[in-house]
Amino acid sequence: MRDIFRLSLTLVVVAIISASLLTGVYSVTDPIIRERQEKDYFQALEEFFPAIDQFETREIEGDRFDLVYDQAGEKLGVMATVGTQGYDGKISYNLAVDYDGEIIGIRIISHSETPGIGDVITTDNFQEQFIGKGFDDPIRDGEDVDSISGATLSTGAMIDGIRRTITQIGEDILGRERKAFDPTEIVDGIYQGSVEGTHGPLTVEVEIADGIIKRVDVIEHNETEAYFVDAYPEIPEKIVEEQEVYVDTQTGGTLSAERIVAAVEKALEGGPVDKDDGGESNE
Amino acid sequence: MNESNVYLQDLSRGIIKENPVFRLLLGMCPVLGVTAFLINGLGMGIAATAVLVASNVVISALKNFIPNQVRIPCFIVVIATFVTIIEMVLQAFQPVLYEALGVFVPLIVVNCVILGRAEAFASRKPLFRSLIDGIGVGIGFTLALGLLALVREVAGQGTIMGPDPDSAIHLFGAGFEPMGLFGQPAGAFIALGLLLGIVNVLFKRFKIQ
Repeated sequence: MRDIFRLSLTLVVVAIISASLLTGVYSVTDPIIRERQEKDYFQALEEFFPAIDQFETREIEGDRFDLVYDQAGEKLGVMATVGTQGYDGKISYNLAVDYDGEIIGIRIISHSETPGIGDVITTDNFQEQFIGKGFDDPIRDGEDVDSISGATLSTGAMIDGIRRTITQIGEDILGRERKAFDPTEIVDGIYQGSVEGTHGPLTVEVEIADGIIKRVDVIEHNETEAYFVDAYPEIPEKIVEEQEVYVDTQTGGTLSAERIVAAVEKALEGGPVDKDDGGESNE
Repeated sequence: MNESNVYLQDLSRGIIKENPVFRLLLGMCPVLGVTAFLINGLGMGIAATAVLVASNVVISALKNFIPNQVRIPCFIVVIATFVTIIEMVLQAFQPVLYEALGVFVPLIVVNCVILGRAEAFASRKPLFRSLIDGIGVGIGFTLALGLLALVREVAGQGTIMGPDPDSAIHLFGAGFEPMGLFGQPAGAFIALGLLLGIVNVLFKRFKIQ
């Protein structure tokens, strides 16, 4: 019995000494760590916006957005500090956008992509293709930007992440609106469009009649079924109900939902398909 | 055997005869994980050495107070304390290295080289000899990591002193295509295997036992 008491006492004493030592070191190093992180952060802002005088921080859903002003109080742009799911864990990065919604620069803060493969996301070679792209560009793999073969997952994740971020900056901070589709101005007919999905193309068919979006069907997809069921048929129903292409895509299957919207957008941008031609596009 | 000879033996044992990486094959996780670049390998070695020396000294000093039944928990708490201190100090003063070493810094706690020395040496031997032993094993660990990292960085990246582009020295011309495999964990196994083979041949050749 006395033995147990002695053993516990030893452990308690060791633990108390250890804890107080750690508290001491923490109180010394913590301010230094914080100060350094702040400095790094301001340096990143300065790199993107050399004329920076002050900035105002906004938090939206856990992401940090900094509105940057110059000395005259003019808005210079926005820097977002966001994260996206990469191939192997979270990639967090800064995305700097000028006041017109065009990308100025990208800075990867931390990532754990495969060395020598996925870490191409940190290279200028990959990042340069985004510069000058903006809110009105599609920012889609194979359209106006390219993933890098061999590192498709890492670079594809960055492309999707950047597109989402710039849409959010445009809508929530710069107060821009997506170009709207007015169904009444679209020629009646059947439209088809497809985008790259998780494991292959996702194709939708849209029917416009009398200036109304009559129906939206996904006619081909290779999405993960478990997520896809959350996006379909919910998203097409919403599009028909609201007569609006850009519906809210926050569902259990956000990625699939976004792809359906993007495919509808592509379909309506092209011409109607000729039904007699076996459903082939007549572009 | 005179006294300085004992200390010299304590020091050299960890570097050559009982080199933790090449002879005992202990603590292989960080050995394989952080040796893609020379700077990271050496940084890890130095961080582990600091923990090893500090824990050896403290454990040797406390060996008469710690009851035998709870010695392992006590050793682990001592080691974990020093690792956490090193972690905070690195984060404050060597942020680049801290980022590069990542999860391997907290994992020093479970590096069996350190617990092994605490159990096999520091808990039985006098304080000063434990200090020397910690330094010796630490140097041996650091040298082994440095050697492996050098091989891997030269073969896998074609540089030394990377990955920071300011300090990186490119050894070969622009036409050099690095062997990407050596930058990967699998390449670490292959490079380690080759080095172990060379070390074994050398030990046989010079009859070091």
